[in-house]
Amino acid sequence: MGGEAVSSVDVSAPEPGVDVEAAEREIAGRSLTQIAWSRLRRDRTFIISSIVLIVILLLALLAPLITSLLGVDPYSLDKEAIDEAGGKPVGPWGGASVEHPLGVEWGTGRDILARLLYGLRVSLLIAFSATVLVVVLGTLFGIISGYSRGWVDGFLGRFMDLILAFPFLLIIIALSGSLTQRLTDLGIPEGNASRITYLILVLGIFGWPYLARIVRGEVLSLREREFVESAVSLGASTPRILFREILPNLWAPILVYATLLLPVYVAVEAVLSFLGVGVLPPEPSFGAMLADSVQYFTLIPSYLFIPGTLLVIVVVAFNLLGDSVRDALDPKAAHR
Amino acid sequence: MVRFRRGAVIAATAAAASLVLAACGGSGGGSSEGGGEEGGTLTILSSAEQLLTLDPQVVYTGEDLAFLGATIQRSLTAYQVAPGDAEGTTLVPDMATDTGTPSEDATSWSFTLRDGITWEDGSPVTCADVAYGTSRQFDTGLAEGGPVYAVTYLDIPTNEDGSSQYLGPVDGTGQELFDSAVTCSEDNKTITFNLNQPVPDFNYTVTLGFSPVPAGMTTGEEYANKPMSNGPYKIQEYTKGPGGKLVLVRNENWSKDSDPYRLALPDSWVVNFGIEETVGEQRVMQSSGEDATAMVQSLTTASLPVVFEDAQYEGRRIDAFDAYTIYAALNTEKLPDEKVRQAIGAALDREALMLNAGGTYAGDYADGAVKPNIGIDYAPTGLWETLLGAEVPPTGDPELAKKLLSEAGVSNLEVTLDYGQTEDNDKAAAIWVESLARAGITVKPNPIERGQYYGVVFENPNEIMLGGWGPDWPNASTVLPPLFVQGWNLSRVNDEAFAAKVKEASQEVDREKQATMWHELSKEAAQKMWIVPTRFGRDQRLAGTKVGPIFSWAAYGSYPYPIMYATQ
Repeated sequence: MGGEAVSSVDVSAPEPGVDVEAAEREIAGRSLTQIAWSRLRRDRTFIISSIVLIVILLLALLAPLITSLLGVDPYSLDKEAIDEAGGKPVGPWGGASVEHPLGVEWGTGRDILARLLYGLRVSLLIAFSATVLVVVLGTLFGIISGYSRGWVDGFLGRFMDLILAFPFLLIIIALSGSLTQRLTDLGIPEGNASRITYLILVLGIFGWPYLARIVRGEVLSLREREFVESAVSLGASTPRILFREILPNLWAPILVYATLLLPVYVAVEAVLSFLGVGVLPPEPSFGAMLADSVQYFTLIPSYLFIPGTLLVIVVVAFNLLGDSVRDALDPKAAHR
Repeated sequence: MVRFRRGAVIAATAAAASLVLAACGGSGGGSSEGGGEEGGTLTILSSAEQLLTLDPQVVYTGEDLAFLGATIQRSLTAYQVAPGDAEGTTLVPDMATDTGTPSEDATSWSFTLRDGITWEDGSPVTCADVAYGTSRQFDTGLAEGGPVYAVTYLDIPTNEDGSSQYLGPVDGTGQELFDSAVTCSEDNKTITFNLNQPVPDFNYTVTLGFSPVPAGMTTGEEYANKPMSNGPYKIQEYTKGPGGKLVLVRNENWSKDSDPYRLALPDSWVVNFGIEETVGEQRVMQSSGEDATAMVQSLTTASLPVVFEDAQYEGRRIDAFDAYTIYAALNTEKLPDEKVRQAIGAALDREALMLNAGGTYAGDYADGAVKPNIGIDYAPTGLWETLLGAEVPPTGDPELAKKLLSEAGVSNLEVTLDYGQTEDNDKAAAIWVESLARAGITVKPNPIERGQYYGVVFENPNEIMLGGWGPDWPNASTVLPPLFVQGWNLSRVNDEAFAAKVKEASQEVDREKQATMWHELSKEAAQKMWIVPTRFGRDQRLAGTKVGPIFSWAAYGSYPYPIMYATQ
């Protein structure tokens, strides 16, 4: 069954004949975007995951405002909140109280909620930027590779194979020190600016070939289509064909890939900072919070569950969003 | 005792009780007659993947020195095994018949071996074996990371660059130089060390790296995996990695008569490797079945409140000062101005650092490099009371720091903090950033992979480096010279007047007078703030219900391995 059948089921009208006709007319006049949008608006998964993500984005963007309203901040030490013997937070649930809604960190008394929100900012910044970099590089090289064919395609193909063959997590960790230093030498401010730039660059550089392969495949089939041939026969320049004729038809797969890639990078960022290749202290991050929780979680499980749960929510919400977008943009997908 | 077991990692530590000072009567030999049972197996649950080394010339961490010394490696002298600072660091003879005989000016020392000491194959341990073992300290490839006091003290000419002209027994270059510095008597029983300077405490020195190795055996680095035992146990099995273990069983050729020092009560010792710290401590806490005779050598911060607030662990937990002073070295090449260094010390929130390390479990506030449990060489320096011109509370005094900085004419000071990366050290770095910011000092944290930490900071140091140091034997001669003259000089101090005074104190034969000299030097070092001393560390551990005796052996800050037993 195709999309039309689904929409006709949805329309429960007293006079079917007229309505089906009207519906057909309406469908005939809609663009791909409009179709996708109308599908998305009826997709509950999409709506819920969007709302969750908007809330999370707002939390991250407004973190300084929220924390100052609550009277907490991620850096200041609170010696009152921890015990003199052992540095253990005073009170249950990691010292949760009015001043510290989600408790405080063992040994320093820093506020968990504030650190969580600031950690979210770093995580999302890295994940978004790396995804953008992947989209730009992947689309560019994918189009070039797919349209040119011949030796350029062969060369780019082998180059992508080479990058994909690299054990990139290992390389990220092994080279972090020296390459971060190199970035600093190039004029990027020392410390977190360099380290975050490094992570974004490495994630982007090792991530684009996946997207480039998808784009290349699409381009290979698109360039044989009539509208491209007619553009060629009308004498359109290659850049025009690439970016005005072919590119607009690629947005669907690119968008889908990006929404699925983002949560992966959120998780990868957490893994890297867990392994010590993240932001420098005192800046908080998910991974560092999780790493720190390991030694305490038998006593204070909330150390593990609070950042863990938020991480899971972010990743799952992005994944569901990506799925919904893919379903909506895919004309062949079966709709419920 | 010198190095931290885990590189730059400063184990977080425990409770308010002071040193265990039960006046238990250790007899002169160090091994008391006291109530141990013979038989059974004692087990150590270790999170490490192996012992760093079994080579008697390379072993240098307190715990390993204590354990291997108690089981397979005898030395000329050893420390009495008894509770208490003074009792636990009293020198007693081990292989030697007494604690050594110095010449009048202490430039040569002689030790005579007891009768009946043998290797595990039954052959006798001779003076030549002790000399051979000693000579291995000169093998630079082998002894890296081990103690090299033989190289420092023996009367062997050096090259222009300060390296010894003797290159060790495997290379053999300069063997005749070594043979004239270390001589054996006709009967191969008495060894004499000729030194290049007066060393009044050389009989303590010989506890480190002077253990015998069978002479004539070609013993390079591979010796570390299966050394020949001359103690009450021998190696039956040694496999490294997770699931691996070191099994020590009785050495039938060891004779009790030749060794009044070790009680050798259990039939065997087992070290299990690669056991997660949290798992190991849980097993010992439960103490069921075979774990009743097991022990862990450290506790994680999170389990300290559990172990020390619950009465069921009483009698099998230890909370004592360890050997280490925890400090931050200030690089004098990058921070040449004394006032700037003092400002850093004054601004630092030592209380927050202490809480982060475990609060009262972590230790006491330090006032210098020399730690009180060293004995007579410690005297309060008054660093935080008077030496900086005002009293500095543990939370730091940002105003005083600002004043010191303006006197030095420095503004917008930016420093980089090197540390071995762990979660706890990341938090410590955050405390440095926050507390120095109050005085307008910008701190940039520089985490370093902890296995490479000391390699990196000695090669390429920034302004501030976290570190820790414990004395090699109870004399400040193993603290002040290595930290501020040569050896472990992270601060890159190059103060000729100070070095001359240190040399004078090192060679002082009158022990009381020497102690007074150390007090003055320790105070001078504290005032010049070459290091910011933050903490005199404590150490906590837990043993199973059937392990005894339970106290901290002050000499090594370890279990009293030579006299331990398993009850049935």
